[in-house]
Amino acid sequence: MTTNTRTIEKPKPNFETKSWMFMRYSAVLLIPLVFGHLILQDVIVGVHRIDLDYVAMRWASIGWRIYDALLLAFAFAHGVNGIRQVLNDFIQSDQVRKIMHWGLFLLWLIVTAIGAIALIGGVRPIS
Amino acid sequence: MQIKLKVFRYLPHTGKKPHYDTYEMEVDPNDRVLDVLEQVRADSDPSLGYRRSCAHGVCGSDAMRINGRNMLACKVLVKDLNSSKITVEPILGLKVLRDLIVDMDPFFEHFRSVMPYFVNDDPLPEDGKERLQSPTQRERFDDTTKCILCAACTTSCPSFWANGKYVGPAAIVNAHRFIFDSRDTAAAERLEVLNEDSGVWRCRTAFNCTEACPRDIEITKAIAEVKQVIYSGKIE
Repeated sequence: MTTNTRTIEKPKPNFETKSWMFMRYSAVLLIPLVFGHLILQDVIVGVHRIDLDYVAMRWASIGWRIYDALLLAFAFAHGVNGIRQVLNDFIQSDQVRKIMHWGLFLLWLIVTAIGAIALIGGVRPIS
Repeated sequence: MQIKLKVFRYLPHTGKKPHYDTYEMEVDPNDRVLDVLEQVRADSDPSLGYRRSCAHGVCGSDAMRINGRNMLACKVLVKDLNSSKITVEPILGLKVLRDLIVDMDPFFEHFRSVMPYFVNDDPLPEDGKERLQSPTQRERFDDTTKCILCAACTTSCPSFWANGKYVGPAAIVNAHRFIFDSRDTAAAERLEVLNEDSGVWRCRTAFNCTEACPRDIEITKAIAEVKQVIYSGKIE
C-alpha cells in the first residue's frame, strides 16, 4: 500500500496567504530582472558611462522601459512587503498595524508613481 | 574539571531584581548540565528553581538556554559544551516565574489551538476494529510524532520572541502530525487556524527551531509542508 494523496478543502486565501505567495513569485521574477540589470549597467556598460544620453538611448526602446518598470514595481513591492512583515512582528496594536500598512502602501505608490512618471514622461529624444 | 557556572536568578518573593549568580565548582566532564544544577542545589543553594522530571530527554521539562542555545539540560554533557564557562538562562519569549522556570501557559494555549488530537467521526471499519494504515502512510508523519513539547523550538524562534501571538513551531509540528495522518479527518479545521495572521505565515524560515530541537525533528521542513497544504489543498 502506498501513501495516498488526499485532497481537502483548503482555507480561503487571506491577505497573509497572498502576500506570502507574492514574496515567492516576485523573488523568482527578481532573479532575472536584478541580475540582468546589474550585468548590463555595471559590467557591460559600466557605471561611469551612464549619463542622461545613455538613459535617453535606453528608454527609446519600449522593451527596456517595460523592463525597468517591472524591476521598479516588483523590487520595491517585494522590499516594502518584507518591511511590512518585519514590522508586523513588532507592532502589537491592530490600529497601529493598520496605519503602518496604509503608510507603507502609500510609500510604495508614491515612489512607484515617481518612477513611472520618469519612465513615461521623462523620456527625451536622443541628442 | 573546574567550571564557572553562571545562572540566571529571579526570586520574586525576595524583591531582588533579576541577576546572575556564579558558582565555581568541580564537576565530571561526563556530567550533564542537569547534574551540575542538582549539585548547586545540593551543595550551594537549595533555592535554585528549575523544572525537571524524567531527566532522560523524554519528558521535555528541562529546556533552558545553555551558553546561548536552547537545549535540554538532561541531554547535554559538560564536555560537549567545549568550555569551562557555562551560562544557564531560562528560555526566551515566555514570562519568567522564578529562576529557570517560565510560564508555559501561552505555549500550551497555542498547542491546544491546533487541535492536537486524533479526529475521525466516520463509522468504524466493518470488523469494528482498528482503522488500518500502511507503514508508508505511518512513515509520512513519523518525524513529527517525536515532539516532547519541551518548547525549545518555539522559544528559539525570533518571530515568537517578537510577537507571542504567533502559534510557534511546536504547535505547527503537532498540527503536522495529525494533518498528515491518513486516518484523521480534521485537517481542514487545523489549516483554518494555521492560515490566520498568527499562523504559519509568520514563519521566516530562520531554522532556529530545527537547530534547537532535542529530538532532531525537521521542524522548518514540517512548517513548509503545512504551508504547501494550505496553498495546494493536497496532502501528499
